[in-house]
Amino acid sequence: METTTTGRGRSLWDHVVARRRLLIYLALLVAVVVTLLPFMWMLLGSFKTQGEILRDPAGFLPQHPTTENYGTWFTRLHLGRFFLNSLVVAVVTVVGNLLFCSMVGYALAKFDFAGKRLVFALVMITLMVPGVVTFVPLFVLVAKLGLTNTYAALILPFLTSPLGVFMMRQFIGGIPDALLEAARIDGAGELRIWARIVMPLCGPPLATLGILTFLGSWNNFLWPLVAAQTEDMYTLPVALSLYSTGQIATQYGLLLAGSVLVIAPIVLVFVFLQRYFTQGIATVGVR
Amino acid sequence: MRRPFVGAPPTPLGALAPGTIAMITRTPVRNTNLKIAVALLSLVSLAACGRDGGAGAEPATGAQGQNATAPANAKLVVWAMGSDGDNLPKLLKKFEAENPGYSVDVTSIPWQDAASKLRTADAGGVTPDIAQVGTTLMGGITDAFQPVPGDTDTSVYFQGPLKSAQAGGQTVGVPWVVDTRVLFYRTDLARKAGFDGPPKTWDELKAMAKGMQAQGGAKWGIRMATTPDQDVQNSFAFPWSNGAQIISQDGSKWTFDTPETVDAYRYYQSFYKEKIADPNPATGAGAAESAFVNGQLGILVAGAGESELLDQAGGPGFKDKYALATFPRQKSGTSFAGGSDLVVFKQSKNSAAAWKLVRWLSQPDVQVEWYQIDGALPAVQSAWQNPALADDKRLSVFGEQLKDTNAPPPNATWLQVSDVFGQQVEQMVKNGKDPAQAMKDAQTAADGIGTGS
Repeated sequence: METTTTGRGRSLWDHVVARRRLLIYLALLVAVVVTLLPFMWMLLGSFKTQGEILRDPAGFLPQHPTTENYGTWFTRLHLGRFFLNSLVVAVVTVVGNLLFCSMVGYALAKFDFAGKRLVFALVMITLMVPGVVTFVPLFVLVAKLGLTNTYAALILPFLTSPLGVFMMRQFIGGIPDALLEAARIDGAGELRIWARIVMPLCGPPLATLGILTFLGSWNNFLWPLVAAQTEDMYTLPVALSLYSTGQIATQYGLLLAGSVLVIAPIVLVFVFLQRYFTQGIATVGVR
Repeated sequence: MRRPFVGAPPTPLGALAPGTIAMITRTPVRNTNLKIAVALLSLVSLAACGRDGGAGAEPATGAQGQNATAPANAKLVVWAMGSDGDNLPKLLKKFEAENPGYSVDVTSIPWQDAASKLRTADAGGVTPDIAQVGTTLMGGITDAFQPVPGDTDTSVYFQGPLKSAQAGGQTVGVPWVVDTRVLFYRTDLARKAGFDGPPKTWDELKAMAKGMQAQGGAKWGIRMATTPDQDVQNSFAFPWSNGAQIISQDGSKWTFDTPETVDAYRYYQSFYKEKIADPNPATGAGAAESAFVNGQLGILVAGAGESELLDQAGGPGFKDKYALATFPRQKSGTSFAGGSDLVVFKQSKNSAAAWKLVRWLSQPDVQVEWYQIDGALPAVQSAWQNPALADDKRLSVFGEQLKDTNAPPPNATWLQVSDVFGQQVEQMVKNGKDPAQAMKDAQTAADGIGTGS
C-alpha cells in the first residue's frame, strides 16, 4: 500500500487513485457481506425458536428473541465439560505439532544422515494417503493399546502431521547454514540450535501450522466420535451433533446456538494471529 | 478377558446362544481353562449350526433354546441414540431397583455417523454390551451382534420392523421403538375435493390429490417424503402394497424387476407425470411443513415426528386442519417401517445379563412407560392396547399402520443397492424413464452388487 497524499495538493492522478480505491473497497465490502451473511444468519437464528426458523417466508431478524437455546447449552448440557475437552485436545495437539514438526523438519532440512531421503519420502507418502484409509486401522491400534476413551486417544494420532513436517522442512531449508555453523562453532548443541536459532526464525510457519492444527482439531468430528466412549469425553462437535441432530428432525435453534459457541473461540484465535497467518502462507508459498 | 459363564459350571453348555460360541472362537484365547471351554463349546456350536440351518427367518429354536442364566450382579453398558440416551437412565432406574445387583451405564451417541462408530467399535473390540441401532443402520453390521436367545418370542413385536434385524436366517436383535410413514392430509382441502374421509384405495388417493389441486387450490396434491433421503424408503410402500418384495424369500436374490414392482412404480410415476407431485420439491429445512401449512400441498407422507413439526410450523389452531390416515390399499396397504432395534454385541462380556435387560425393555408396560418418557412409539404390539396410546386419535393411526409394514433387509450390500435403486427412482420421477426399463436396470445393477451373503 503506497501512500498518495503528499503535501503537493490534489492532482488528477490522485483523483483516479482515490476513485479506484473506492471501487476496491466497494468490491471488498460486497465480498465481506456475502461471506458474513451466513454467520449473521447463524447468530440471529440462534435466538429464534424452532417454529420461527421453519416458518416460510423466513424472517431475518428474530421476532421473539429467546435465549432458551443458549440456556439449554449452559445448564442442561454440560457445555463446560465439552469445551474443556475440546480445548485440552486442541492445545496439546497444537503444542505437539509445533514441537515435533519443527524438530523433524529441522533434521530433514539441515542434517545429513543415511536414509534421509527415504524418511522424507515416507512423510510425503503419508501426506498423500487419505485419512479414511487409515481410519479404522488407527482406531484398532488405539483400542488394542487400551487407550479408548482417554485424552491420549483423542490427541496421540494427531500429535504430529506430515503436512506440518513438510511445511517446516521447506521453511527451515531457507535459513542460511552459516547461521547454524556459527552457533556450532560457539559450542551450541543441536537442541540448543533448534530452540534458540531455528525456532525464533520460524514465527510465520509456526503460526500457520498452529492455526491449521487448531482448526483441524477443534472441528474434528469423526475421530472424537469413535474414540470417546462416554459422554464426558465428547468434544464440542460431537456434543453439537448429539444434542441438536436427531434421526429425522433437527433442532435448528439449538444447533445454531451451539455453532456460535463453537466458532467464537476460533474467531478470537484468528483475530489474534491473522497477521502471522497471512504472512506465513505467503512465505511458504514463495519458497 | 473374564467372561462370567466360563467360570460358572452350573451353566448348561447347551444353554448358550450360538452367538456367544462364535464370539469365543473369534477372540484370542489366553488361558488353558478357557481353551478347554472353547473346545467344548465349538462342538456344541457345530451341532447348533446343523440344527439352525433350515430355520429361515424364524428365530433360532431347539434344544439350545434356553437362556444362559443371568448372573446376579452385572455392570452393563448401553449405547443409545441421540436424545433417547438422555432419557434412558430415567427408565433404567426402575430396572436397577428391580434388579439390585445390576448397574447400567448409558452413553448417548449421535445419529450422525453412528454406523461408523458402531463398526469401528466392533473392529477395535471396544463395544458396549447393548446398543440401540436405527433400523436403517443395521445393514452390513449384523455379524457383530448376537442372535437372540432361543426362547425369545419374536411374535410380540411388529413384524415389519423385525425384518430389519433378520439377516441370513437369524434374528440378531429385537425392535425397540418403531416408526412408520402414514398420510398427513389437509381435511379442508380434502372436503373441497369431495372427500369426507381418508383415501381407501390407490385410485382414491390419486383422485383426492388431484381434487386438492383442482378444487382445493393446492399447488401440489401430494409430497411423497419430507426429506430427500426418505424418497426411496417411502416409495417402497407402493411395490409392497402391490404384493412385491425387495428380496426373495430365501434372501438369495434382489427382486426389483417383478411385474408387481413395475406396476407399482408406474402408478408412483403417474403422480409426477400428471403434475400432481412436484418432481423437484424444495428441500430446505421446514420446506415440506410450510407448504403443507400454507395450503400449497394437500397430502404429505411422513413419520411420527411430523405431527410436532407441523404443529410448530402451523401454530395454534392448525391441528384441526389436517388428519392422519394409513396407506391406501391396493393388494395391501403396506408402509415403510423404521425405528430402532436393540442388539447385544457378540463381544459383550455380560451377554446373559444384557439379554435380561433387553427382555425387560420389551415388556409392554415398560414400553408404554418409555413412550411416556421419550415419545418413541412402542415396538411391542400389546403395548398399543394401553389407553395412553389407544385413546390418542393420531397415534392410533400409527398403531394401525404398524400392523402392515415392511422393512428392507439388513444385508451388507443394502446401502449400495438402495443407492443404485434410488438413482432409478429418480430417473422415473425426474426424467420420465419407463418403469419397466428402470426396474430392469435396477435389477442388473443390484445383481452386480449381490446380496452380500
